[in-house]
Amino acid sequence: MLDIFSQIDFQHWLLRPFSERWWQETLCSMLVGVTCGVLGCYVVLRRMALIGDALSHAVLPGVVIAFLITNNTGIVGLLSGALLAGLLTAVLINLISRASRTKEDSSIGIVFTSLFAIGIILVSALPRGLHFDLKCFLFGDPLAVGATDLLLMVIICPVVLALTTALYHPLKLASFDPVVAAAMGVPVMTLHYLLMGMLSATVVAGLKTTGVILVVALVITPASAAYLLTNRLSRMMILAGAFGGLSAVAGMTLSFVTNWPSGATMVVFATAIFGLVLLLSPSQGIVIKMFRRRKMQWIVECEDVLKTVYRNTHEGIEWCNLRLVTNVTRISLRRLHAIVAQLEKKHLLHLNSDNELQLTAAGRIRALEMVRSHRLWESYLTERAGMAVADVHEQAEQLEHVHELVDEVDRNLGHPRVDPHGETIPPGKKPTPS
Amino acid sequence: MASDAGSTIPLHARNLTVSFADRAALRSISFQLQSGTLTGIIGPNGAGKSTLLRALLGLLPLDAGNVKAFGLPVAKNRQRIAYVPQKQTVDWDFPVTVLDVVLMGRYGRSNSRLWRLLRRPGETDRLAAEQALAQLGMSDFKDRHIRQLSGGQQQRVFLARALCQEADILLLDEPLTGVDVATEEIIFSLIDKLTAAGKTLLLVSHDLSILDRLHQVMLLNRRIIAIGPPEQAATKNNLRQTYGGRLALLDQAEAALTKMK
Repeated sequence: MLDIFSQIDFQHWLLRPFSERWWQETLCSMLVGVTCGVLGCYVVLRRMALIGDALSHAVLPGVVIAFLITNNTGIVGLLSGALLAGLLTAVLINLISRASRTKEDSSIGIVFTSLFAIGIILVSALPRGLHFDLKCFLFGDPLAVGATDLLLMVIICPVVLALTTALYHPLKLASFDPVVAAAMGVPVMTLHYLLMGMLSATVVAGLKTTGVILVVALVITPASAAYLLTNRLSRMMILAGAFGGLSAVAGMTLSFVTNWPSGATMVVFATAIFGLVLLLSPSQGIVIKMFRRRKMQWIVECEDVLKTVYRNTHEGIEWCNLRLVTNVTRISLRRLHAIVAQLEKKHLLHLNSDNELQLTAAGRIRALEMVRSHRLWESYLTERAGMAVADVHEQAEQLEHVHELVDEVDRNLGHPRVDPHGETIPPGKKPTPS
Repeated sequence: MASDAGSTIPLHARNLTVSFADRAALRSISFQLQSGTLTGIIGPNGAGKSTLLRALLGLLPLDAGNVKAFGLPVAKNRQRIAYVPQKQTVDWDFPVTVLDVVLMGRYGRSNSRLWRLLRRPGETDRLAAEQALAQLGMSDFKDRHIRQLSGGQQQRVFLARALCQEADILLLDEPLTGVDVATEEIIFSLIDKLTAAGKTLLLVSHDLSILDRLHQVMLLNRRIIAIGPPEQAATKNNLRQTYGGRLALLDQAEAALTKMK
């Protein structure tokens, strides 16, 4: 064992992430992550996820043409090429879906694939001596991230953050209700193209870290995670930016340690955050929902046990056998023991050595509340919902567990004394004056 | 024709014509609205009622005609017009609270185009929004997320947003569709209050039961069949024309013409 560990160069391993290269690339991708996250909120809310994908692909011809003209991959050339291509994409999509009956998603598909195709042809037709790294464009290549890329992001990120903050209110209005926004004089189309422009610029700057194919994940995934966590747009933007930046830093660091491709590692981190949120979000989380359902089920079963014991004990028959309770409630014997243990702890019933149950005084009160609830709901279902007397029992078995509405049902029915089956309805705890 | 800049006619449409693809959606619509009145646009589904509202707001390309609000083109007088769309036109899962939505009505309260974009709602705006919510009986809901509202409450939020725009003309698209009785009562009393205050209201409905509440009715089926006080305009004959057959021959002729162009 020791042998294996001693073979790994720990010092090298641990220090590798914090080299100068790491700083440069991580800072650059963190800025990309934050910017993509913030812009992603609008992409997600305006249902433009497909456009995000389209923009990232469609900038290829712009980048290649800029490369052809300037003969290098300088910032200004690349950025303006990408911006022009991005805006052209947005305008073309708009034109095609407005001027014909082509649906918007189809026009997006047509426009970005054709621009991407033109880009590929341009790359293959580049004059001798010029080499454009298509693979880097597609999959990203963190080794190619240089000081210029960092400089680019150092400019783009604050610009995007400043614009989205300054234009927060019109952007919110135009995204929520574009028609009313236009009626109020918000320049809806200008804002749309501004968003598209910012998105193209960010995508181009992020290309070297993640590549065309994966950059859209940084736009959509952190914003979608944030969307599940909050009901406020401002908080959603902050969270999405944080998630984007976090995925970028964590992904970049892990990729330095493991030598995995950085873009892919960042996307996996972003998806992991989304997955966690999906499972654990307080309002939407799958796990939380399941937990709540379990708890509700447990309460329902506890109440059913109390009710069954109540129904099956009278003067003379003071105890009710556990077997009978499992048969009536269809709760397994094992689970029943757990339920009984809890009810005993709450002093609602006793269990004797013969496996028989008896309600305490407090237990009887709880059971009577159940009976009252059940009979009131039966009355409500027949009188207000017009159901047949024979059919109401089963529904009332469910509804009786909704205690907070019982008094209202009682008031609504005018405090009835008997249920549709002719049985007495026990009075409530605090009888309301009628 | 004399120039009517600075006119006191709140809304004046002349010869509005709108078409979609190869069919006319609205043909030569002309009318005027007076201050302090409630006008109802009534007609069957597909009659172009919502289209007319959007055309009046300058949100659709016009084939012909023009619209003036107080003598000015609508695009130059947007602050005086509020629009309440049908409530299913927006995403009610959007991350905003009730107060956020109402505050959106305070956009554009500046003469500078740039400042309109950059201005943030302040204390005055917040007060106006809360007052509008109170008028619609929605004060208790102001911090709720809009997802948690019933249909009637959603409609009231939209009305509160329009109300705090403090506009002089209100265009309401089917505000009474799918709302509860309580909301309906609140909406009608709001309408009474607004018309009494001299505002001009134009309301779209596919339901004839509101006829007796209107000062003026416009029977619309791609063209104006009749316009005037309900008892004069909403005659049996006019209603039959509105809800009866379309001008099938004219439709076909127009389709043929657009193909020849």
